[in-house]
Amino acid sequence: MRIHRLLPLLLIVALVMALVPVASAQETVSMRIRCKAVPPVEEWRCNNFAQVESQVEAALGINLELELIQDNLDWGPYKQEFQLAAEAGEAVDIILSGHEDIGTWAQAGFIIPLDDLIPNYPEFADVVPSLWESMKAPDGKIYGIPQDAEARPLYFSKPLLRDLGWSDEEIEALPEKIKAGEFTFADMLDVAQEAVELGVVEEGNGYWHRPRNGPDFLYFYFGMGGQILDEAGNLVFDKQAALDVYKLFEDARARGIMAGKHLGIEWADWHTAVSSAENVLFWTGGTWNWGDWAVNYVADRGGEDYLFENIGVALVPALKTGKPITLTHPLAYMVSASSKHPDVAMALLAAITTPEANNRHAIESAHLGILNAQLESEDYKNARFLSLTHPMLEYTTFIPNHPNWGAWSEAYWTGIQSVESGEMSAEAALDVVVNRLQNEIPGIVIR
Amino acid sequence: MASAASSASAIARSRSQAMRARLTAYGFLAPAGFLVLVFFFIPMLLILFLSITNLATTNFTTDVWRMATSRDPKYIVGLDNFERMFADEFAPKILFNTLFYVLATLLLFNVGLGLVIALLTAHVDRRAGFLFRALWILPRITSPAVYILMWKRIVAASPFGILNQFNELLGRPEANYFQGEAWVFIVMLNGFIGASFGMIIFTSAIESIPKDLMNASLVDGSTIMQRVRYVILPLLRWPLLFVTTYQTLSLLTSFEYILLFNSGGPASQTEVWSLAAYNRALNTYFANAQWGYGSAFAVVLVIIGVVMATVYMRVFRFNELVAEPKIEVL
Repeated sequence: MRIHRLLPLLLIVALVMALVPVASAQETVSMRIRCKAVPPVEEWRCNNFAQVESQVEAALGINLELELIQDNLDWGPYKQEFQLAAEAGEAVDIILSGHEDIGTWAQAGFIIPLDDLIPNYPEFADVVPSLWESMKAPDGKIYGIPQDAEARPLYFSKPLLRDLGWSDEEIEALPEKIKAGEFTFADMLDVAQEAVELGVVEEGNGYWHRPRNGPDFLYFYFGMGGQILDEAGNLVFDKQAALDVYKLFEDARARGIMAGKHLGIEWADWHTAVSSAENVLFWTGGTWNWGDWAVNYVADRGGEDYLFENIGVALVPALKTGKPITLTHPLAYMVSASSKHPDVAMALLAAITTPEANNRHAIESAHLGILNAQLESEDYKNARFLSLTHPMLEYTTFIPNHPNWGAWSEAYWTGIQSVESGEMSAEAALDVVVNRLQNEIPGIVIR
Repeated sequence: MASAASSASAIARSRSQAMRARLTAYGFLAPAGFLVLVFFFIPMLLILFLSITNLATTNFTTDVWRMATSRDPKYIVGLDNFERMFADEFAPKILFNTLFYVLATLLLFNVGLGLVIALLTAHVDRRAGFLFRALWILPRITSPAVYILMWKRIVAASPFGILNQFNELLGRPEANYFQGEAWVFIVMLNGFIGASFGMIIFTSAIESIPKDLMNASLVDGSTIMQRVRYVILPLLRWPLLFVTTYQTLSLLTSFEYILLFNSGGPASQTEVWSLAAYNRALNTYFANAQWGYGSAFAVVLVIIGVVMATVYMRVFRFNELVAEPKIEVL
């Protein structure tokens, strides 16, 4: 009887005791962060967060539960995954993606503007100022925090040039000649044709670009004098510049320099073919490829030493404009509108926006630095490949943060594939591309 | 009076029996009807609706009701998507690709090879036939991603690709099979899986042909080819109709193997209509998905599918095939 009376009291006591530890504990905040990274060289993109976890916990007085989701999914499905999750309101807190997605995702309301939050963190003041421009949506607000930058250079095989009779001095001088505009893209194609004719490389292996669509192809268009945005911010398609690009590839195909052999092949097969420096004479890629090749493709031949010995790196030689060129495509961390704790997300982002954290990523993965202090740091300066490629930023271009850039790029790329695979002439490809652009992009300026 | 009342009650009884029988029939149909409603009619209505909107990532909203009722030109664009679609110079190419893909895969593999395998394996030792068919089923029960991965390794560039290794041994130049011969591989890799469906249906149909007919044809001195031509094939009309109809519609909407193999490239050369719908609606490299435009592509597919199904049913006289037998089968 007595026990029965005491029971409610005992229950209350038990309940209070159960709740006490929770009440006194710090708030637990879970953060899901999604990164695309080539393993293992680019994995600091997400792993850097784990390094600063306790630091941020202490600073904010919270318990962090970090979920780092990182793999090397293709960009297409990677972005699709975020979009579908964002539509359902279940996106990760922080997404790493190309800066060009800011235009589309900001307008869709998938990511949040960061202008009001950025001044709260002194770390962001050290970011190279020009990078902030690429973090802005057409509404003028900043939606991303720069993660890394790169250049997209021309690579060439030193042994194959030697087989063509080039001396070591000539080979070593090539990057400077390209930089001075003395060795143009047309000269490069001449050398490549000679290599094919002499059997130094197989037909079609004189020059390769990446096997799939990507930002690279825009520098050909820029190099032919094309413009991408007008003063009012409308997308522009310059027919003459595009035709020149298509004719360039049509001509390269007709001369046996290109044969569409690498179109659509697997990335791994492409990397294998070029990184050995035994199959392809000239090719264009990204600086980050260097880090990937060293660890994932030629590690058994000597890694980076093998690359320095056998592969040269230079700006993309001058096209019609007469100036060498490259393209930078900064990646950005964006805070999703689904995040319940954007302030915590920003604190984490600030904590990894330091020379130490970013050097870990930049040096290992052959990406260019994003912070002033980082560029001055000894580690960065001593990184041989970065010291070769960092000055390329002087010649760089960017893709636009325009919501319809995707449709523009797909149409333009369709033309390149059509010409290179021999399916269409340059003129026919241009007609098809103009037709598709007019169909898919309202308000595009065709001229 | 009494007889009138009894006949009235008899009529009432037979009516209620008929009603009960009808209800029972509907009851049995209900689960299938529910599935068709939820997974075919409602999505079809949604796609019809989306096809008159320009919903895309850039004007994204989840408030479909407001979008539907607002008549806001920001969303509701009428038939603009269809105009755009038919104005695209690639549209005829993609349509031709689709017809080629469906007909080639269907005739050569899903029906053709399926029938050949069924006939061959039904005429060899029973256990050997069973084993062969079981092996042929394996790709169908393999995940499409894994299956395509295997194909990609077969056709990959040197030094990985098996075919290119043979090219090297034979002193032939390396080939990019994702480009030049892409159609051959797309039809083959779909067909090897597609054939197993016909194979199962045809085998069971061949094995259910009454032995007397076979024996009678043997007594008449028929050769194997004559038996196939005059006994087996005429009796396979219903399975042939079923496999042809089902596989046509299934091929019209199937694009996953092409997507995984080469995404319909290069430059839409192997892009089929359903893949075009998917590419517009969901898959763009630079993030702006056009759901409205993609849905317009899908609507065309629904129309083609319904027309083809109707034509098949008329040509093969579906009603006669499912009519009650004119003689009692014991």
